[in-house]
Amino acid sequence: MEYVGEHLWAANLGRGLTALAFTMALLSTVAYYLKGDDWKSLGRIAFRVHAISLFGLIGTLFFIMANHYFEFDYVWKHTSLDLPARYLFSAFWEGQEGSFLLWMFWNAVLGYILTYSAKAFEGPVVGVFAAVQAFLVSMILGVYVGDMHIGYSPFILVRELQDNIGLPWTQFSDYLTRFPNFADGSGLNPLLQNYWMTIHPPTLFLGFASTLVPFSYAIAGLLRKDYKSWINSALIWSFFSVGILGVGILMGGAWAYEALSFGGFWAWDPVENTSLVPWLTMAAGAHLLLVQRNKGGVIPSALFMLILTFLLVLYSTFLTRSGVLGDSSVHAFVDLGLSGQLLIYLLFFTIGSIALLLFRYKGLPKKEKEDRMDSREFWMFIGALTLLISGLQITLSTSYPVFNQLFGPEGFIHLYDQDKVLSDPIEHYNAIQVPFAIIIVLLIGVGQFLSYHRTSTKMFFQRQILTLVLTTVLTGLSAWALSMWNPMYILLLWTSYYAIVGNLEFLIRWAKGSWNVAGSTVAHVGFGLIIAGALVSNANKDIISQNKTFIHEEFPANENLLIHQGDTVQMGDYWVSWTGQEEEGYYLNYVLEFFKEQGDKLVSTFDLKPRIQLNERMGNVAEPSTKHFIGRDIYTHVTYADLRTMEEKGEEEWKNEFDLELSQGESHFLYGKYQVQLDTMVVEAPGRSEGGFDYAVLGAGLKVTTMEDSVFKVMPIYAVQGDEASHVDAEIESLGLKFRFERINYETNKPVITASEHVEAEEPFILVKAEVFPWINLLWLGSILMAIGTVIAMVTRIRRS
Amino acid sequence: MKNSQIAIIIAIAVLIGYTLVRLGNSSTYSSFSDATALNGEKTTVIGYLDLEESMDFNPKTVQFAFTARDKKGNSSRVIYNQPKPQDFERSEEITMTGYATDSAFIATDILMKCPSKYNEQNEVDSDKIYK
Repeated sequence: MEYVGEHLWAANLGRGLTALAFTMALLSTVAYYLKGDDWKSLGRIAFRVHAISLFGLIGTLFFIMANHYFEFDYVWKHTSLDLPARYLFSAFWEGQEGSFLLWMFWNAVLGYILTYSAKAFEGPVVGVFAAVQAFLVSMILGVYVGDMHIGYSPFILVRELQDNIGLPWTQFSDYLTRFPNFADGSGLNPLLQNYWMTIHPPTLFLGFASTLVPFSYAIAGLLRKDYKSWINSALIWSFFSVGILGVGILMGGAWAYEALSFGGFWAWDPVENTSLVPWLTMAAGAHLLLVQRNKGGVIPSALFMLILTFLLVLYSTFLTRSGVLGDSSVHAFVDLGLSGQLLIYLLFFTIGSIALLLFRYKGLPKKEKEDRMDSREFWMFIGALTLLISGLQITLSTSYPVFNQLFGPEGFIHLYDQDKVLSDPIEHYNAIQVPFAIIIVLLIGVGQFLSYHRTSTKMFFQRQILTLVLTTVLTGLSAWALSMWNPMYILLLWTSYYAIVGNLEFLIRWAKGSWNVAGSTVAHVGFGLIIAGALVSNANKDIISQNKTFIHEEFPANENLLIHQGDTVQMGDYWVSWTGQEEEGYYLNYVLEFFKEQGDKLVSTFDLKPRIQLNERMGNVAEPSTKHFIGRDIYTHVTYADLRTMEEKGEEEWKNEFDLELSQGESHFLYGKYQVQLDTMVVEAPGRSEGGFDYAVLGAGLKVTTMEDSVFKVMPIYAVQGDEASHVDAEIESLGLKFRFERINYETNKPVITASEHVEAEEPFILVKAEVFPWINLLWLGSILMAIGTVIAMVTRIRRS
Repeated sequence: MKNSQIAIIIAIAVLIGYTLVRLGNSSTYSSFSDATALNGEKTTVIGYLDLEESMDFNPKTVQFAFTARDKKGNSSRVIYNQPKPQDFERSEEITMTGYATDSAFIATDILMKCPSKYNEQNEVDSDKIYK
């Protein structure tokens, strides 16, 4: 059947290019592996064709997304007609398929560069790239072999989805115009519609892709039994990787802090952890390469670290994309059913590279002479080892869901009956990682005062007297100012100040600002600042919205503050008032005005607008609003708000109906605010004395007393004539109260009065949580310095070589 | 022995020591009855929301109460002293960390799993057509 209105050419082009990219990657792998110049040039051509067809297929996907061809499943799922063009990139990598493409894109770019720059190592290095690309492209192949599917293509049509094949609607050739479902897509999740989603994933994936370069060099070295000539190239690339991956991870933290209400920049979520670990091992590997270049003797551990880093990236991919993390992470991908394929990918490279390393281990150049304890290389080695242990600890703890699948109740090897879980992950990681961080920053400080081969003891101490004094004074002052007395934290603060001051002093005083050391010292100062900033802002985080009046021994102190509209309440050093709300696209902004006490007056100092995103797909989400000062941030988010519109609340203006049965003189407490008393009863019934009456009018005289002791008197009236009854309600407008004389209860002989409250009389309120993060700017400053330092280091290295 | 070998041995010892310590005190996913048996110790229960029982959120005291059923079918009242998570009704599975008391399970942390997370399908309703 010919379907009307489908853009099949795009589907064919996209799938054709995918197939081409896949076969070219395979061909390139094989050709590069075979020896000889002809094979090498074939491998190169194949890789370039692969890269170009990949770019073409990415372009095609962009094209169909930009033009909203909703017959494509990926387009329907991730875009909509009202999606602003600037979010097209975000929509592109929102799904698994698109983010795989992003990763492949960077691999192809880096591989392309290496076909020029790797020179003698082009064969094995680009060959490894081609093999990795073959695996990655297979993830988006979308081919069925029998019942098994290989990959999931972004070019699949909605009608071709497994679940839809054979459904009645697919029998209409004009289904696209016949069914309104295809008029518009479901669109990009509003949660991801912000600029962070545009810049964070590409940076992070470039970081992931860059770990492949040192890995390829390591494999190339092992294959060729050459452990020398590639060190310098691998060194530059590994610092590139440390820099980009670091920036990518920190961007994720900044996103979480600025735009998501996770309550901080780091939550030890599995997705965060598995991107941090490769950074730790890459930093270790890069430093080992430095030792190797300057001193030699660490080839085995350097190779191990570079290989491990890439394997950890693969493991991270497996964890976040296979659905294993399900219960334990808030932001893993949805399972596309690729876990088997991902596992093969992971195992292929793990077994292949580790086997190669073991096979060659005997022939690896080892140390001829043992390092001295007073040499820089020895302590760099210890630092690398600490990074590795720290990374392995995080990996082990993050892998609980994997252990559960392997050894748990339904595991392959049944070892325990109940799934294991970390009961308090944040506390767990903080407790274990703080000592590692202490060692790392201490070594970063010490390292600058040590020399390769051996260090003169006298010089080592003389050079850092000033640093030691300054560090101790600074730590004392900070601890006192922040009243932070936890010994572990003080130790971490001292060591990070030591790293900062030591590196600065070294750069300014001893290296005289030489460009050769500028890169590393600036990056190290940055790292010290990151640790100090993370420590101080987290350990001294203060929840100022804590409601100190509501504490029950079993319950945690309430961390949320209730604010009525127009009311002003105290919050830490401030007084806060909620003045109203504004609508802005998907958002409802709640305007909070902050006042400061000056003398006996309140002075308005600033406004914050925490907001709620009205998100039909994911549920409504609170987004924080933060006031940045140099020394601290005030971070607020709305934790509860009544989002119902007036219509949803009900057309009726009156609510909370409540029946009062009162005898004369009796009173009742109403709505927790009013005292209602039946003052008098007035009855008018002409002709009553004759035994029957034409009609009766009854009035209930009510006295309403408010909490402020104001008294209101009203009289609702009830009239009966024959079978018909009528009411004249009484209202107290200023209180928003209404009374109706409903009837007489003939059993008790008491009048029944129905009270109701005006909808607007119930003051709207919100719950707000506010936290102060002191000195979090140190963290951001550190991040920027680390990035700048890495760039300087790379540029100076490239210039020197 | 070489210095670096000593360092590696120490490092391995730290890692093994850590693993052993962790194995001892990592908690397990439990059921409400296990939680009661733990006598107020912190634990994690995975369960489902019981929609037939009432779900009350009192914003003035910031207390959210609901009834959950664990995987073994035991049901328990759960009290969570935080604002009600958005779209709680839509949750498919709830991971509750907290401790049991005589009257209810007090949750200090709640993680929900929602069915629609990033994964909406274009389900074409054949009855809904133009004209």
